[in-house]
Amino acid sequence: MIWSAFKLSALAVSVATLAVALAGTVLAFLLARREFRGKEALDSLVTLPMVLPPTVTGYYLILLLGRRGLLGKYLFALTGWTVAFTWEAAAIAAGVMALPLMVKSARAALESIDRRYELVSFSLGKSELETFFRVTLPLASRGILAGVVLSFARALGEFGATLMLAGNIRGKTQTMPLAIYEAFISGDGQKAQVMAVILTLTSISVIYLTNVLTHPPKAA
Amino acid sequence: MLNVTIRKQFASNGRAGFALDAAFAANQGITVLFGASGSGKTTTLRSIAGMVTPDAGRISLGESLYFDSATRVNLAIQKRRVGFVFQDYLLFPHLTAAENVAYGAKSRHDHERRRHVDEMLKLVGVDYASECRPGELSGGEQQRVALARALASEPAILLLDEPLSAVDVTTRARLLDEIVEVQRKTGIPFLYVTHSPADAVRIGDHLLLMAEGRIVQQGKPLEVFNAPLNVPAARVVGTENILVGQVAAHQPEEGISIVDLGHCRMVIPSVELAEGTRITLGIRAEDIIISRERVNRTSARNLIAGTVKHLLRDGESVELVADCGIDLKVRITPQAEHALELAPGVEIYLLIKASSCHILP
Repeated sequence: MIWSAFKLSALAVSVATLAVALAGTVLAFLLARREFRGKEALDSLVTLPMVLPPTVTGYYLILLLGRRGLLGKYLFALTGWTVAFTWEAAAIAAGVMALPLMVKSARAALESIDRRYELVSFSLGKSELETFFRVTLPLASRGILAGVVLSFARALGEFGATLMLAGNIRGKTQTMPLAIYEAFISGDGQKAQVMAVILTLTSISVIYLTNVLTHPPKAA
Repeated sequence: MLNVTIRKQFASNGRAGFALDAAFAANQGITVLFGASGSGKTTTLRSIAGMVTPDAGRISLGESLYFDSATRVNLAIQKRRVGFVFQDYLLFPHLTAAENVAYGAKSRHDHERRRHVDEMLKLVGVDYASECRPGELSGGEQQRVALARALASEPAILLLDEPLSAVDVTTRARLLDEIVEVQRKTGIPFLYVTHSPADAVRIGDHLLLMAEGRIVQQGKPLEVFNAPLNVPAARVVGTENILVGQVAAHQPEEGISIVDLGHCRMVIPSVELAEGTRITLGIRAEDIIISRERVNRTSARNLIAGTVKHLLRDGESVELVADCGIDLKVRITPQAEHALELAPGVEIYLLIKASSCHILP
């Protein structure tokens, strides 16, 4: 039970964090640097999972992605695959819950950069894409990295939305938090304790690693 | 040759606010765009660079058309080949000085690029700091690197937006001379924005005077400063006459030094500067006395003959511009104007106390 939950959490969380880091940075860039119609609506939509109860977010995800869902029915009709009770569902639930944190951190980081750095780069003949990778991203890297860590932590702890969308099937969709809950409820306090310690150690090492990365020791 | 005709309306609180309506041309050498803050200098500069889009007008540099509202041309900033130097340097903080310069360098090959970067850093005199990050450099050094970075991209024109206002006073004077030297060596036309008259005179080949979004006068810097042609121009340049000359002689026991201004000599309070030193003097228009007759026994150490060029009435004072070989503006009351029957062409004498001549940094 512990090992399978650990493997599943590792898979779902890493896929979710990776996807959220990429999508979140792009969304943050659009929100921070571009003017377009529906910008406020997009911002609200992305932020919504942060304020909604996770079970409600999970419920909406079912309405959207379930076998008879808004998008899910086309997916099912085309491929015969449906998201419910798969590890992908756990990853999607974790990602959607983590996305607001990623977007908020990355947007704040991007907005704190003096736009004139980008103008300087343009005037030196560099395209917007090259400027983004060589100037904007390096200058915002700390804030973006902080966003990735927060997203990772949020994804790792995801419970409510995962339970709704993916269910709680051991070896298939049961992530660590779900396994802890089940172990505890069924009276297996020792298993719950072991898993709690594993999650705590993972979180601590991630925080430590981030600190080392963002504040590199100064060369004497 | 840079040709600019631009209009841009700014709104404030829904009402029409400041309006930029500037037309001018800039040639080789250093053209200074001078004006008070809020007069539209920076917006003009940014419009040329492509960082701001005017409402209407046309901007071209030589053969290339940057902007034309009539034919809907608005060339991307990347394609304009315009170097831009900001007041606060804006070096990329995550790159070293050399990497900053290399960032915009055109050269293809690595070794060629490295040579080009070295050359640029040497040109501005900071090759010793090539491996330093911006945070480790002084303000003056950072601005030199910023200059090198802009030049390394081989721009067709260099725009400088008050590049020295964040630099300390002693570095400032040296950097001004270096900027002139760099311009002469590279031959790239510079458009230099400042609100310091002393800087404008020291650096400018040509001066554009800007007030409330318009170019109100242009010409040789000294002539524009000392002989404003209209009231808006007179208000922008203020009441200071600016004279450039060199120390000619000292009479320390008499408490005076003598400055050669080319057309005439000026007695000033004793200074400790070697003979031949270049010096910029300021004399306020209200400190000059006008006399219709030659006065022989007076405590004013300078008596300069000239003729009235023109008179500008601005509220309760009159600004008279006198041609004394050099132009000098004098502020008098309307009563003095009437009592002395001053009019263009009238011969006058200017009396200037030595102590009214102060040295501008």
